[in-house]
Order: sequence, then C-alpha cells, then structure tokens
Amino acid sequence: MQNFEFYSAVTIEDGLACLSERGETCRIIAGGTDLIPLLRSEEVRPVCVLNILNVEALKGVAEEGDCIWIGPATTFTEIMDSGILQRSAPLLVQAASSVGGPQIRNRGTVAGNIATASPAADVLPALMALDATLEVQSLDAGIRRIPLTEAILQPYRTCLRSDELIVGISMPRPSSDTRGGFEKLGRRHALARARMNVSVVLRTDPDGCVADLRIVPGAVMPVARRMTEAESVLLGRRPEPGVVETAAEALAEGILKTTGRRSSSEYKLPVVKNIFKRVLQRLC
Amino acid sequence: MKKRGIGIGCMFYGIGYGFSRQDISAATVEICEDGSVIVRSGEVDYGQGSDTIFCQIVAEELGVRYDQIQLITADTFVTPNAGPTSASRVTYVTGNAMLKAARAVKKTLRSVAEDILGETDLIFSDGMVFSESSREKEISFRSLAKAAHLRGLQIVETAWHDVTTKDVDPETGQGKAYSTYAWASQLAEVEVDTETGKVEVLRLVAAHDVGKAINPSNVEAQIEGGAIMGMGYALEEEIRQEGGHVQNRSLGEYMIPTALDVPLVEAHIVEVPVSDGPYGAKGVGEPALIPTAPAILNAICNALDIHITELPANLENIHRLIREKGE
Amino acid sequence: MSKPDEKDPLQMTVNGKAVSLSIKPSWTLLHVLREELRLTGTKKGCEQGDCGACTVLMDGKTVNACLVLALQAQGSVIETIEGMGTAENLHPLQESFLANGAVQCGFCTPGTLMSAKALLSDNPSPSLQEIRVGISGNLCRCTGYTKIVKAIQSAASRKP
Repeated sequence: MQNFEFYSAVTIEDGLACLSERGETCRIIAGGTDLIPLLRSEEVRPVCVLNILNVEALKGVAEEGDCIWIGPATTFTEIMDSGILQRSAPLLVQAASSVGGPQIRNRGTVAGNIATASPAADVLPALMALDATLEVQSLDAGIRRIPLTEAILQPYRTCLRSDELIVGISMPRPSSDTRGGFEKLGRRHALARARMNVSVVLRTDPDGCVADLRIVPGAVMPVARRMTEAESVLLGRRPEPGVVETAAEALAEGILKTTGRRSSSEYKLPVVKNIFKRVLQRLC
Repeated sequence: MKKRGIGIGCMFYGIGYGFSRQDISAATVEICEDGSVIVRSGEVDYGQGSDTIFCQIVAEELGVRYDQIQLITADTFVTPNAGPTSASRVTYVTGNAMLKAARAVKKTLRSVAEDILGETDLIFSDGMVFSESSREKEISFRSLAKAAHLRGLQIVETAWHDVTTKDVDPETGQGKAYSTYAWASQLAEVEVDTETGKVEVLRLVAAHDVGKAINPSNVEAQIEGGAIMGMGYALEEEIRQEGGHVQNRSLGEYMIPTALDVPLVEAHIVEVPVSDGPYGAKGVGEPALIPTAPAILNAICNALDIHITELPANLENIHRLIREKGE
Repeated sequence: MSKPDEKDPLQMTVNGKAVSLSIKPSWTLLHVLREELRLTGTKKGCEQGDCGACTVLMDGKTVNACLVLALQAQGSVIETIEGMGTAENLHPLQESFLANGAVQCGFCTPGTLMSAKALLSDNPSPSLQEIRVGISGNLCRCTGYTKIVKAIQSAASRKP
C-alpha cells in the first residue's frame, strides 16, 4: 500500500478545512471496509486520508420533528441497534443486517455505503425507498441538500465534489401505517454481495388501495432508482395478484430498458419479479 | 415456492496412491531412560489429527500415558520419510509404521521384563508391566526403560510400511488397484426456492466405514468438514477461467459456505475393521466429501423432478433448469 | 498532519497493556499487531475483510484488523487472542473448542474465538441461529462449523 498522510478530523469544521485545502488528492475514510481494499490494490492512491470516525457530530440516529436523522458515520450495527429505526424504519434495519458479517457491520457506515455507490449496495437502495436526503457540506458552498435518488451519477460515482463531506442523512419519518420490506439474494447468507435486493415501502388507504408505493431494486442496474413505472401500476388500486403481476412486469421491463439485455438478464429479470412480489406480499 | 427433496449418494474410494505407485512410510519410536517415549514421523498434521493418533497408537501399544509421548514431526533433518499427507493414507500407512516400530521396541522391553520378573504372560498397561497370572510381579515402564538402557540394548526402532500395490492389468483392468477401500453413504435433505433457484441443505447425514476410528472425535470432524466441502462443491463453488486465467481468485469471489449456510452435519462412524490397517483403521479424509454432491443433486432431483448434469447447482443453473422444465 | 515518509505516533491499549509506537499511516491494525507487536495469533487471511481470520476486539466490538488503519485505533482498547487466555489458563471458550474437537488446522480459530467471545458477552444464551450469525464473518474450511457451533453452545450453557 502506497503511504499517505493521515489526518483525523475532530470536528466537522476540521474535516471541511482539510477537504477545502486538499480535497482533490484526499480520500475520506470512515469504516474503511470499502476504501482499504482499494488502497491496498492501489486502485486509489491518495496523498492524504481524512478519518471522520472521531467526529461525534457525524454519529447517531435522532428524531427531529417529522424527520429521522442518521449520522453519516453510523455503522450498520448501530443502525440495527437503533430503537428509533427498529420502530420507524425496519426496512433499513433489515438492509443493514444483510451486509457482510458482524465484523464488517461493526465498521461499515451508512455514508460509506452511499459514497462508494456500488451497484450492489444494500443500504443505499433502502434509503432511496425511504426518500432519504443527503446533507452535504463544504467550506465554500455551505450545506447542500440532495435527494439520494439524484446523488448517484454512475457506478462508484456520486455527485459529491472533492471538497464536500456528507454531514447527515435525513428522511421523513414513515407514518405508522407505512410498512417497509427488504429482501437480499446472495450466493450465501453472509459475506456475499447482493445478486439482487429489493426494497419496498407501502402504504394503503382504509379501502386497501395503494396510497404510497416505493420500489427500489438493487444490484440489477448500474445505478439504483425508484421504479416509478411499476409503482404507478399499483397506485390507487388494490394489490391483487393480477395487478401485482402487471407491476412486476413493468418492473422487469423498466430494468431491461435501463440496462439493455445482458447475459445476466435471463436470470435476474424473472427472479427480481419474484422477489418483488413476495416482498410486497409480506407487506399486505 | 419452496420444494423439498431427499437424496442419497454413495461412494467407495481407494486409500493410498494405488496402481503400483510407491506408497511407503516410516516411523521411529525411541524409549528414553526416564521412561518417556520419543516418536519421529515425517508426516505433516495440518489439523486432521495424525499427530494425535500417532501418540495414541504408541501409547496403546506400550501401555503408557498419552502425555508421556514426545512427538517430533515433519522435520527432514530428523524424521524419517513418511510420504505426503495425502490420498487419505496417513492413518493406514504411517499408522501401521508407527505400530510396527512400537511393537519392535516393545519386543525388546518385553524380553527384559521377562528376565526381571521371571514370567512370560506380561501385560503393558497404565505405565506398568505385570504378569497377568501373578499380579504382584510388576515393574513400572519407567524402571523397565532404565533397565533396558543399563543393559545397553537397542530400544529405538524405525519401521517401514509399504502398501504399494501390484497394479491392474492394463487390458483387463483386473488386479490390485488399491490396497484398501473406504465406503460411505450420505443423505441430503434440501429445500429449493423455485422462485430464485436457491438450494438450502437442511440436513446432511454421513455414514462412513473407516475400519476403526482410532480417534472418533477427529474422524467425525473430518466427516463434517469434508461433507461441507462437498456441499460447497455442489452448490456455489466454481472456478471461473478465461484463457487459462482464473477470474475469481479471492475468498470474496470463490464462495465457500459460511456458518449461516450449513446444516449441522450428522456423522455416523461405521467400523468394519480391515485386517491390514492399524487396529483395523482405513482412511476418511477425502471420502468425506465424495458422496455429498451426488446426494445433494439427487435431493434436488427428488424435489424438482429434474436431472442435473453440471455443477455447480447454483442460483442461475437451478433456476434455468426450472424454467426449462416449465416450458 | 503527517508527511508520507514520516511516521506517526500511535497509542493504544493491547491486551490490557499501554502500547506506544511510531507507525506509517498506511499500516493496518493487522500489520501493527503482527509485525510491530509480534502478536501473531491474529492471522492474515485475505486482507480484504472476506474471511475473518484477522478478527480482534476493538473497543469491545469485533473488527477485521485488516480493514482498520492502525491510526484509526488511536486511543482504542484492543484485545487479541493472546489476551483471551494462555496455555496455563485457558478461557472457557478455548477449553470448549478443544474439548469439542472444534480445532483442526487452527488458522480460523483465533478469529472465531474472538467472535464467539464477543457473541457470548453480548448474548450469554444465544440460540443456534444467533451463534451462526455471530460467527458468520469467520470462514472455516476444515470443520464445516458443526463442532464450532457445538463448542460455543457448550461454553454458553456452562457459564454461571
């Protein structure tokens, strides 16, 4: 591993000052579970590495009015242990618990999952389904708020500028009648990249019609997004098998349209439909 | 939908190198003046427990405590050539060499004891040597060792054991391929998720004829570990090559089972002693993983009524077979 | 801030003892433990966080030491397998692993024991599934996990 300078930020301002000065040649490290293998293989060769794990202001899960705020340096284990998230966003807890193994979850962070922007990320699509917004800060531009669905440009590239730091992730607190579900399919039950995952958030009105629906499949497209073409099939209707099947078709078509036919499509398209249907089924 | 099935796989496997390939081993047993025993073997124990059974064999033969044995292994400067730790051969071949060496020094010790005690019906047990008919006529192994030393007798012996076979007739295939064979059956119960192609192995039961389990716990351990290797081989382990270059070279890309992927293997030891194994023992290392994939594939066939002819039976391959059957 | 050729000071507690070193920022905690402190009980497996052979406890939580830059352990409390027990004074989990035949080649054992220790500290009476999850980040090729699971069950049931 090529050597580098190491700086441990104590406050957000520290971190921003460092990035302002040397963001171009600097890499931010939180849990390191994505970055350190890249450093070791020298796929990235930063002059400086900025550690943000010591910044208290970047940790924690809090309720702020109608919102839930998650500190970017919150680990997957801390997500799983959060009473707030267990109550209000179990989908996120499920997604976090599917990552790696205990050791990875004790270090890997939410912001890391976002900033790495792997097409096979688990927590990133779940946050998209929960309508999460990134709070991003720099010395020059102050705080920007970016919907997470707009923050991922390409595989492994976010819209973050080199002098910017993620300082918060917030999302509207799901109403008590909103349900969320997540399923990950991997080649094994731990230490496995998602072959695919599906996050679904559902709210039905008193008649049982779909009032709100968000579907975000992961590991099936270069960049995860809400599948509005599938959501719109079900909006305002009861999630009966025929309609659900049509929505699943729209889901698969939407994915195919984005990726074009690939060698994996033969497997992924029918299977993502099946996983979507059963995640939705569990919420009904 | 989840579908369950049960399948059985059976195997036999030649122990040792077979087909007239040289298959020899040597071991040295030395009795020290203080009654401790030094054993030398060229064999490598990489966790399967050969070190353990060498001490057990020598302790059993000489009637001494297991912890009186000092074992030196895998040091080309001082240990005799035992051949590799491979071919599931170490217990069968080197174990026999151990036995021979132990019996050779015992013979010398016995003659000294007979002389000292004036009896010939001697038993070596529990660190003592005594007459079976007149129990009060006894000497400690330690004192016997000292006595043998004082008499200037040779009480270090290196023994050779050779199981090299004659081979088979190249035309008829008849003859002696291997010196002995291990036999096993395994049963797998699987649950297939037809929506994703994922196969869960709910139960894995393995019955292995090992001749004699010198160390039953270690034999179980070999069976359990090997069966899970067989399971991985059946399901998600795959070496992907392009132009001779392995594409998936890391532990993150070559998928061996984790603790969340495995059933607790139920190992059953079957003992049908072979006359030419040490205490009747054969081998178990490789046999443990051989019937597993067939058992699992048969179980998948039982669940889905499809015939699988390629490995691995992974997500994509199973799902494709299900789709093709549906069409 | 450090320069690439310079070394940075690192202070941490390892197995109860204060440790003070001068290290390169690029060194991982695994490198420091094995090469600088000569605590070779922690094993180098894949160096990518895919095997768990390098599992240690950092501030009470299991981590892959290969995925921690040593300077990130500034001021941390580290426990390695050497701190878990000695040959003369084995930890109950170590005793249980030995008694239940859960050790074959031994390469995964230190990391697996660390994970088992963390598991039982948090959850003294784990279910079978919880045990599996607890060691799911530790690959073992030799044992197939059966005796490891039984050893952990046995140790858990013996605790006061």
